[in-house]
Amino acid sequence: MPGSLGYAIWVLATLLEVAVVVCAIKRRSFSRYLCLNLYMFFSFVISLLRFQFLSHFGLRSSEYKYCYYYSDAVLTIFLYLALITLYLNVFDEMKVEKYVRLVAVLLLAGTALFSYGVVQQSSNKMLTGFVYELSQNLYFVGLVLTYVLWGAILKLRETRAQLIQLVLSLGVYFSAFAATFALENMFPSFQFFTYIPPVFGCLLPLAWAYAFWKLTPDARIAPARLAVVPH
Amino acid sequence: MSRKLTSVLLAMLILAGAMSLKTVVAAQNNGAVMMANGGAPVPPPMANGGAPVPPPMMANGGAPVPPPMMANGGAPVPPPSAQ
Repeated sequence: MPGSLGYAIWVLATLLEVAVVVCAIKRRSFSRYLCLNLYMFFSFVISLLRFQFLSHFGLRSSEYKYCYYYSDAVLTIFLYLALITLYLNVFDEMKVEKYVRLVAVLLLAGTALFSYGVVQQSSNKMLTGFVYELSQNLYFVGLVLTYVLWGAILKLRETRAQLIQLVLSLGVYFSAFAATFALENMFPSFQFFTYIPPVFGCLLPLAWAYAFWKLTPDARIAPARLAVVPH
Repeated sequence: MSRKLTSVLLAMLILAGAMSLKTVVAAQNNGAVMMANGGAPVPPPMANGGAPVPPPMMANGGAPVPPPMMANGGAPVPPPSAQ
């Protein structure tokens, strides 16, 4: 069972997930970033569900494992859709929504096919293996997509502060998990790494709640080249 | 048409890049699990990747289920004799 620190971080993350949805509703940004807010809402609901399973069956029980890994796959798909929502917002003036959706569907289908291929070769636990593999692969697809989106934001000289804050915090979130995953593989004896993912699970909703609460959808940041004062 | 083909190419490139990145990051994979949603404690991974072991298919005991079809015809398998 997790220690008191683990529980504290988990409760904090759950509260911050609710805070994101509340801030978005208060600032009338809920529908603008619908999938992103749905991701936060379902993350909150699934946290409650996981707590029920954890308290009833324990950390090492099959019930909790099933609940954890299956719900994680659902949340990862919502996170992927949230990322696509950000893409649609960045490219909304270029009228390429149709193509963004096409790429998103193809990418999701391709990831599912790839995951199926891996599981089919290596495991007889088809459905559970597939769910786990899809979840892992979608993380990395999301990571690459976030970098591509950041490149597009720089190229298009996007200045909407709220959108930039949302994308940047998501990029930090994905990168931190990939780095933690790599370090955990390199130094498996370090228990310190087990606390890093839950901490970042708090920082993402904190950054998003800040973006919704403090920044209006129309707020712009001044590009560096305009901020330079000529002598 | 060319835009659709570009979309397909882009999707394939991103997928290839992501899977390559995963391969690099998990080069020394020792069974660590990367789970990123929420702050819930990650359950201990199973020996074969992170996926939990599925429950036994039959309610009575965990003995392996026999193959459903016989080689000669599709008649159901009779139960073993009592003796």
